[in-house]
Amino acid sequence: MSISPETTNYMIAGFVTFFLVFTVYITSMFVRWSNLKRDLLTLEELEKDKNA
Amino acid sequence: MNKKPKLLLVLDILSLVLLAVATYLSLSFAPMEVTMGNVQKVFYFHVANAWVGMLGFIAAGVAGIAYLSSGKSKWDIIEVAAVEISLVFFLIAIMLGSIWARPAWNTWWTWEPRLTTAAITEMIYLAYFMLRNGIEDPNRRARFSAVYTLIGSVSVPITFMAIRLFRTIHPVVIGSESAQAQGGFNMSPDMKVTFFFALFTFTIIFIDIFWHRIRLGVLQNKIEELKLKVME
Repeated sequence: MSISPETTNYMIAGFVTFFLVFTVYITSMFVRWSNLKRDLLTLEELEKDKNA
Repeated sequence: MNKKPKLLLVLDILSLVLLAVATYLSLSFAPMEVTMGNVQKVFYFHVANAWVGMLGFIAAGVAGIAYLSSGKSKWDIIEVAAVEISLVFFLIAIMLGSIWARPAWNTWWTWEPRLTTAAITEMIYLAYFMLRNGIEDPNRRARFSAVYTLIGSVSVPITFMAIRLFRTIHPVVIGSESAQAQGGFNMSPDMKVTFFFALFTFTIIFIDIFWHRIRLGVLQNKIEELKLKVME
């Protein structure tokens, strides 16, 4: 009968790494999106003021 | 900017559900591999991330060709989106591979053909953003980037084929592997279900994030145009 090596810690490290990097990237997209939306609103107001 | 399309919302929800199921399948459904133990379960996400990473790099090359032949800025936006997402997925694949390698090969990293070509591919596409940041003129930037992704995409089949062409310790799960390969295993039917489900899941996630990133690029372009208009 063969005994499997105890590598559970590496498995946990793998999944934690994946979810961490993935979450950071998704969050960065959210942050960039909301910043761009804010910039867009500001620029639209500036354009309105310019045309007024 | 248009409101978020309903299909995109459906894709968001589908991606989350599929990711949850893929995680469950990897951790609980797939049996433990006897010679490597639980760390083998990382393999499902490792391969799936590498797959979408390569898919995106190829998509960027195709977008590059489309830009060079049409000159339309939408292809430049698509190209940047593909490269950025693929860089993240490919980085995850490299990190997961390294975590798997520690107990399997007794080292975090070794300069064997697959790892070396994968690292070179990642660095090629990191340099892509350096190139873009170094060019002011948008048309020139898009043209140079398109040519760069076209040349860069050659690294993808080289990375894919590295474990099939060269003597390497990296295992080949599908197809025949080198005699030096260490850590290979035969997939049981449950492992195959998990493996293909993970591939499908990450393909859907890739499409979803790709769409979001393209929308982000479109918004960025719109702001750039508006800035120029306001400054006139």
